[in-house]
Amino acid sequence: MKNLFFLTFLLLTAVSCTKEVEIDIPGYKDLLVIDGSIETGQPPIVLLSSTNDIYSETNLQAYLDGFISGATVTVSDGTTTILLEELCTDNLPAGTEEIAAAIFGIPAAELVNLHLCAYTTFNTAMFGQVGKTYDLTVTYEGKTYTSTTQIVQPTALVETYWKPEGSLTDYGYSWAKLADNGSQYDAYRWEVKYLGAPVFKKTFNPFFDDDFFNGLTFEFAYENPMSFDDPNLPDEFKAFYKKQDTVVIKLSKMDRDAFSFMEKKYVQMYSAGNPFATPTNIPTNIKGGALGAWAGYSPWYDTLICVE
Amino acid sequence: MKILLHFLFFLFVTFSVFSQEKFTISGYVTDGRSGEAMIGAKVFVPSISQGALTNTYGFYSLTIPTGNYSIEFRATGLNTKAVTIDLTKDIVFDMELGTDLQEIQEVEVSAKRGENINSTKIGQIELQIDQIKTLPAFMGEVDVIKTIQLLPGVSSVSEGGQGFYVRGGGPDQNLVLLDEGVVYNAAHLFGFFSVFNVDAVKSVNLIKGGMPANYGGRMSSVLEVNMNEGNNKKFKFKGGIGAISSRLTIEGPLKKDRGSFVVSGRRTYIDVLMKAFIPDTSPFSGSGYYFYDLNLKLNYKLTDKDRIYLSGYYGKDMFTFGNKEDDFKVDMPWGNGIAALRWNHLFTNKLFMNVTATFSDYMFSFGSEQDQFRFALKSGIRDYGAKVDFSYFPNTRHKIKWGVDYIYHSFTPTSVSAEVDSVVFDTGEAQRLFGHETAAYVLDDFDVNEKLRINFGLRYSTYAHTGPFTRYIKGDLSTPDTSIQYSNGDLIKFYHGLEPRISFRYLLPDKSSIKGGYSYNYQYVHLTSLSAVSLPTDIWYPSTDKVKPQSGYQASLGYFRNFKDDKYETSVEVYYKGMNNLIEFQEGALPGDNVNDNTDNILVFGKGWSYGVELFIKRTYGKLTGWIGYTWSKTERKFPDLNEGKIYPAKYDRRHDLSVVAGYKLNDRWTFGASFIFATGNTLTLPSSWYVQEQSLLFNYGDRNSTRMAPYHRLDLSATWYDKAYKTKTDKITGEEIEVKKRFRSNWSFSVYNVYNRANPFFLYVDNDGNFLSGDFKITVKQVTLFPIIPSVTWNFEF
Repeated sequence: MKNLFFLTFLLLTAVSCTKEVEIDIPGYKDLLVIDGSIETGQPPIVLLSSTNDIYSETNLQAYLDGFISGATVTVSDGTTTILLEELCTDNLPAGTEEIAAAIFGIPAAELVNLHLCAYTTFNTAMFGQVGKTYDLTVTYEGKTYTSTTQIVQPTALVETYWKPEGSLTDYGYSWAKLADNGSQYDAYRWEVKYLGAPVFKKTFNPFFDDDFFNGLTFEFAYENPMSFDDPNLPDEFKAFYKKQDTVVIKLSKMDRDAFSFMEKKYVQMYSAGNPFATPTNIPTNIKGGALGAWAGYSPWYDTLICVE
Repeated sequence: MKILLHFLFFLFVTFSVFSQEKFTISGYVTDGRSGEAMIGAKVFVPSISQGALTNTYGFYSLTIPTGNYSIEFRATGLNTKAVTIDLTKDIVFDMELGTDLQEIQEVEVSAKRGENINSTKIGQIELQIDQIKTLPAFMGEVDVIKTIQLLPGVSSVSEGGQGFYVRGGGPDQNLVLLDEGVVYNAAHLFGFFSVFNVDAVKSVNLIKGGMPANYGGRMSSVLEVNMNEGNNKKFKFKGGIGAISSRLTIEGPLKKDRGSFVVSGRRTYIDVLMKAFIPDTSPFSGSGYYFYDLNLKLNYKLTDKDRIYLSGYYGKDMFTFGNKEDDFKVDMPWGNGIAALRWNHLFTNKLFMNVTATFSDYMFSFGSEQDQFRFALKSGIRDYGAKVDFSYFPNTRHKIKWGVDYIYHSFTPTSVSAEVDSVVFDTGEAQRLFGHETAAYVLDDFDVNEKLRINFGLRYSTYAHTGPFTRYIKGDLSTPDTSIQYSNGDLIKFYHGLEPRISFRYLLPDKSSIKGGYSYNYQYVHLTSLSAVSLPTDIWYPSTDKVKPQSGYQASLGYFRNFKDDKYETSVEVYYKGMNNLIEFQEGALPGDNVNDNTDNILVFGKGWSYGVELFIKRTYGKLTGWIGYTWSKTERKFPDLNEGKIYPAKYDRRHDLSVVAGYKLNDRWTFGASFIFATGNTLTLPSSWYVQEQSLLFNYGDRNSTRMAPYHRLDLSATWYDKAYKTKTDKITGEEIEVKKRFRSNWSFSVYNVYNRANPFFLYVDNDGNFLSGDFKITVKQVTLFPIIPSVTWNFEF
């Protein structure tokens, strides 16, 4: 259906003309945005920011000014409750610069000169564990926001392999075989990185659930998101892995509410501006009037060497 | 029940009061040139100022006191004929109009002069197809629905769109009938053209308020389109060659003066033109679009009292898109199939019966292939219907109708299949829903006295949702999904309701009257739409155990006055409409796959209302004809689960809507047309703020439909040049030069759409470009305009 809307959109835009207009868009509300996650073996990380009026400034400073510090953030696993610390980019512990850079999307060299804060903890008691449920509470400017997420059992891929695509000999997609558990709801996130790279990258549409394949075993292919960052790679080879690449695959599971947020997020990102798509406000799993999500992930890793 | 008793008592009293020695003159009025029934021809007795109009089949019945009368027969575009009849017994009298060769010179828009004052009809407008043909045509395609959209109280869904909103009701609330067969999607090419080929259409009638009891199943309006019957005297061919499509119609007698047929076809050639620009080597080779439609109608007079009609329509759109480089291919066909078989029978010269069997099918399909992945989606609705209608004409003061109606609905909201190589994904069972819709009605259009005329009717309708059906109940983190299975024929839910309808006319001096109307309607089928514009992907969904029938009422009041011997018809109408159980998709809904789910699990329900005032001035005859219509209206919705439960404007809420339509017949060779419209911009929902999550820019939408696009206005012009109707010929006997009518006639129709090239908004969207870190990030609002100035020319012919 998404393809259908997109095609219709393409058809109409092909015969239309577009111009920039100034128009009143009422209804702006200053809302808190919570971007929190916790995954197996990792500490909870929570970023707080605020919404911006659609016509507000969109320069770097506006982006940086959007991050919020001074909130009270706690995470509980049902038995233990931990107050998260504010960890700011101008005071990062040694060795965490690249992780922080990945979180904020700002190069590590620039990040250390900025004061951007995330909420986290070094208390290993609150590092993510499979099967546990984690409650998040954020208090900011007198308002309290809460959310709950689960770290569910991970699912291992049956097999991963690489094969050249079509007439190409040195380039192809990564392939995987997945055996979905038919007795439960499963939602997945697909990420990859080259072996040795500091952070994982997401593919174009990295989230999927088992609505279509509940209980089935099947094979599927994924593109190489890193290839689009390589300015030296000719366009015809983009999206492919090169023979001899070594790739780490991270297949994470999440609960239904977290998936619902992520799914709608990608729908909005890919349908923004399309008149045939419904205006989609992304359904948050946070109570209290904030936007964003609190998501638990349980990853399973595999290393793929791209050879036949 | 109390209302019904009052109604029956009233009938009895008025019958008694008017019982005198009376006889009936009845028969059919036909066009003498083709033998086709004349719909809405007026049979009038000037001496007693009483008359009747022919029905859809050309039948009239007039019961008046015994006496000697001059009776006039009048029909649009033809000379009036008068006959003197000594009415001392019941008489059957058929009249052929238009046999005197000399057609009237002036274009007369309505044969029923003064009828707008005299009838109880409120909110009804009839359009003649000849008039529609003289108006400017978008890309040369004369269009019934685009003309309808120029009437007050009617607005289009979007630029060029076929969907229309009537007095604040949704596009699904319009009952569109083609020879009594229901048309579920009246659009080709994503809504830019209608399914009605004008060469196949005889008349168009729009009821936007005061819906009589013989119509039902929709809340807002009835658009009744009647097809040509075909010439039962001689074979005729007509057609046209236009910029994007051509059409051809063949008609002729099955048996002279007893039966006829008409076949009309149309096809676009956008796909053929595109081939010239897309070489076979292009990755997009094979992409294209076309539509075609075919109309067929047969009629036969079995006896003087029995006639049968068979009408059929089949139309299909086909959109294909391919990208060989990406090994990507899409096929998207959709279309309607409609058939109606009707039998007219005259029991007596006062009692007319029509039995109709209908079939209606709408199908939409989408299939895509990319590499090893194949996906297909189908959606549709199929109806089998039957109805019996009786018309009884006891005297000129009463016209009574009653009948029953039944439709068996079969809905397929979505049926999905997907596979990768040999692995077939579990897409669940195809959703299919079955329903039985029935109705019975009775109405009487009667004179209470010389000034007051009332049309009172009752309609009782029912709907049964039956199995087989699977109700899916979605669980959450703590509860699993469950389902309930219903077997074939199981009654899942039953709805019913009484629908009172009343309208009145009170005559005032100086050719004026006051009219009022009230109608209550139930609607058991619903159209669900995800997008801001109408698409073939919109899903028809029936009432179920979760989805209650839509219901609503409309009250209207109007003042009507004619001037200058009915040359100018004017009216002011005010209305208020309330609607319950309207449906929308819930916030963030993503219908499409519905795997092991029901579409109604993601629907939400609410209510709406609209009110407004409509001004209408129409010049009905003369060289210059046309109308000016203006509407002020307000349309709002309230859904507990949308927009935080706050009231919001409907997406087609328009404060002002103005249309000016004019046709000017300069002489026998040239006719000119013009239309101008101005409308407040449509509403839409745009993001009011942005935020960042995992480095992705996301939008948060503000209040629903809180943004209003710029006003829409456009001027269209047309000119039609006709060849000479007569040619000079030398009489073989006398040697004199005489003028004879040409057998082959043609005309050139020139149109200019959007004359002053107004960039009207089709939709707006928020665009973002650049990167925060590089400092060139920018969010802007963009307006998309579809159609600039578009000239077109069409050559039409007939012989």
